[in-house]
Amino acid sequence: MSAHHDPELDDVLQDSELRRIASLLGAVKAPEAPLDDAFRTGLRRQLMQEAWTMTEGRPSWWRRAFAPPGIAWAGAAAGLLLIASVVVWLSTQQSGGTTQVYVASPIDGKNNVSLQQPILVSFNQPMDHQSTQDAVQIAPATTVTFSWDQSSRTLAVQPASGNLAPNTQYQVTVGPGARTASNQQLSAPQTITFVTQAPTPTPAPPTPRPTPANPLGEKQLAPLNGAAGLAVQWSADSSSIYFIDGKGALGVVSAKGGAVSVIAPDGTSSPSISPAGDRLAYLRGGKIEVLTFATGKTDEVAPAKAPTLVGWAKDKLVWAAMDGIYMEGDAGPSLLAALPTAGLVTVVSIAPDGSRVAYQLDKNLFVLELGTSKSVQLGQSGSSFGGWSPDGTLLLYSTADHLVVADVQGVTQSTIPLGEATWSSQDAILLGSDTDLYEVRPDGSHQTKVSNGTYHLPLWAPDGISFAYVRGTSLWVAVAPALPPEPTVVDEATAVVKSFMDARLNNKPDKASALLDDNGQKAYAAGGLNLTITGDPHFSRYYVLTQQVTGTAPDTVTFVVRLVLTHGKLDVSDYEETLTLVRDVTSKQFIVDQAAAAGRRDLGKGAEVVSVDVAKDAIKVTFDSDLDPATVNDGVLLLDAKGNQVDAKVAYATRTVTLSGLDLTAGSQFKLVVLTTVRDVLGHNVAAEYDLNLFGPSLKKHGNHRDVVTPTPAATPSASPSGSA
Amino acid sequence: MSDPSRDDERELVERAKRDPRQFGALYDRHFQQIYRFVYSRVREQTAAEDVTSEVFMKALKAMPRYQDTGRPFAAWLYQIAVNAIADRYRTLRPAQPLDDFHDLSVAGPALDDLAAHRDEVRRIWALVEALPHQQRTALVLKFQQDMKIEDIAVAMGKSAGAVKLLIHRGVTRLRDEAATLRPVE
Repeated sequence: MSAHHDPELDDVLQDSELRRIASLLGAVKAPEAPLDDAFRTGLRRQLMQEAWTMTEGRPSWWRRAFAPPGIAWAGAAAGLLLIASVVVWLSTQQSGGTTQVYVASPIDGKNNVSLQQPILVSFNQPMDHQSTQDAVQIAPATTVTFSWDQSSRTLAVQPASGNLAPNTQYQVTVGPGARTASNQQLSAPQTITFVTQAPTPTPAPPTPRPTPANPLGEKQLAPLNGAAGLAVQWSADSSSIYFIDGKGALGVVSAKGGAVSVIAPDGTSSPSISPAGDRLAYLRGGKIEVLTFATGKTDEVAPAKAPTLVGWAKDKLVWAAMDGIYMEGDAGPSLLAALPTAGLVTVVSIAPDGSRVAYQLDKNLFVLELGTSKSVQLGQSGSSFGGWSPDGTLLLYSTADHLVVADVQGVTQSTIPLGEATWSSQDAILLGSDTDLYEVRPDGSHQTKVSNGTYHLPLWAPDGISFAYVRGTSLWVAVAPALPPEPTVVDEATAVVKSFMDARLNNKPDKASALLDDNGQKAYAAGGLNLTITGDPHFSRYYVLTQQVTGTAPDTVTFVVRLVLTHGKLDVSDYEETLTLVRDVTSKQFIVDQAAAAGRRDLGKGAEVVSVDVAKDAIKVTFDSDLDPATVNDGVLLLDAKGNQVDAKVAYATRTVTLSGLDLTAGSQFKLVVLTTVRDVLGHNVAAEYDLNLFGPSLKKHGNHRDVVTPTPAATPSASPSGSA
Repeated sequence: MSDPSRDDERELVERAKRDPRQFGALYDRHFQQIYRFVYSRVREQTAAEDVTSEVFMKALKAMPRYQDTGRPFAAWLYQIAVNAIADRYRTLRPAQPLDDFHDLSVAGPALDDLAAHRDEVRRIWALVEALPHQQRTALVLKFQQDMKIEDIAVAMGKSAGAVKLLIHRGVTRLRDEAATLRPVE
């Protein structure tokens, strides 16, 4: 072998034996390293993501590069984060001296591309603007504007309407007509393919809350003159507070502060505002006084047996006396339910809806359903009552260790820390004490310390924003911070649809099947729908076209899901499945109960509907293509259950047809129709009529797990307490 | 005369310094050699992937601070790799004994006694493995990666003189320990 000679080593290795060893060392190649190409490309992707993270927070380079005013960048919303990277494949100089033209894009091959960004097309050398722009084709049909960076290597293709269409596969092709600045042609058309993300919902405006000067805007309202408890009622509009002081005087004070107006000077107890907010009942001198706000007149009800507590069942008075619970009727008071005769009985609270009372019998706590006279015990001996949910279907009681959230059958739903509790209309529970104030969701989640300090006997205002409490010897008011929003019914159900569809997409039928109830199993049984989708074109992605709350007892949400079938890289067809999810009685989780599929539709043949948003007064239908506006008015219709066209104002903007001026009755059936007369900007008609069944939307937004709990009336009314489970 | 490939590299480096999103081109250019080097040191695919990821991730993050000293960009990547491997070796030993160095192939013209030569080469690299860490690294970079002394100096964070000394000591030690090695024709 010829000795490996390295002049650099001449002065290092002067000894011939050393050089011989060096030649041996240099005569060997490193072993071939086993290389996983997936690792190589995966690491590249990671690096590019990291590179983007590094550049976020400063103006993105493409914004700076394309900065001149007047260029149509208005559509790219401020604060936009471009989540992909720009990859410029630089040319490799070939021995012949020719340079191939490469086209690339940071979003090529991506599946969740955000809607608010231009399509960046990068070239490895400066391009001639006009011929390149002329050679760009974009599908689905989209009107675009072009702009170049200073080096003429990056072309930004911006939809004229501002945003990209949601749930859409785009193909941007640069044809061979494109020329470089040095007049070289592309050797072949090059295509960039990507799929956009689902439309981002417009967040509901947050409930306005006053910005207090001190953290909670605490305000001392009135002296309580030594009152042991807090007998307080908020007015229905949350503007003022009725309270009874230590001398038994009933007064009212504005929640903003100011002088106290005295309604009754002494001897009052148990104030209670009617559900309509128009009257205030209270006890005085063994009688019930009812103040009607509109007239300022006070009426008196004098039951035979002295009332101990007064409340309301809708517009009727309900009160507790020593022997039972009574209700005001046209023919005088009637006994709704008797109280036990043995033992020491104290009615501690009347439910907000007047349907139940909580009472203490010796050391045990019971809830009595007035309609059936059935009592159930809450917890063990020593439990004490803690409050009702605003609708009276759940309640709180305390044990030695914690507060229990139970249904009216006494069945525990959750436990939360001990404290003096009040349950808001926004489903937040405040827990007051001598030393601090906590806020928590009824399910025990989102436990948050609101403040240090004394907050005794807190009571939410009906608006769920302010609360009254006792500190020292005075009545105070403050504003509690909002807890994070609760997931809506649709959010909860959407999570299940996602799991179900992901399992199918990943070919895990067992996992998908676990989300089906018996009905759902039948729908996907042999001869029915396919749980596993095989073959070519293959099932490559799905998206939710629309979703609606279609029932509340139990919660029911209907989804229309598009399953997209792909051949090679291209989406070639899709079909819809309509999935109906109901909340399971036992687990309270959503589960797929019904499923139906529609026929396949070919893609790439005219405009497609990619998202439908249904509200009571308007329906928004988003297409993947820019439409010929002249074809929209008569081409997009809403029909009622009888097939009659519903009157609507039709407007078109940004690929979206809006049918407004509607008044859709909750639960009624409608059909959205897109006729083949609708054309895109290139003049292609919709390939086939598109029909979508819809329901008038329910106004209910938030999940209500207790909807599924249906109280079973006792067969025989009984006034005697029966033990709880 | 300026080296066109060096000019090209300088442009890539400058772009990546201004905009880290341009780092992809440098990655594409240097991945293979860095991965091979790392693999030659750790000789286990998963470990090589871990270390290579670390090298390029560190390089990307440090890109805005990179100073062109006139040495190849790869020298800087090797420096990061050398340190990453050293960090790993502080807690781990190589996963496989050197006897697994089977893929050894010989560059250059055919030998009269190829088998014997291969055996000799294998033995001498086995001895390299037993060298102190820094000597070993210097020999690998010099003889396996064909790097210039100046570039090895950058990679190892040493002066050129120190690298020469490491190579000298390493080869001398090999000579002493391989006194029985058969001379090459």
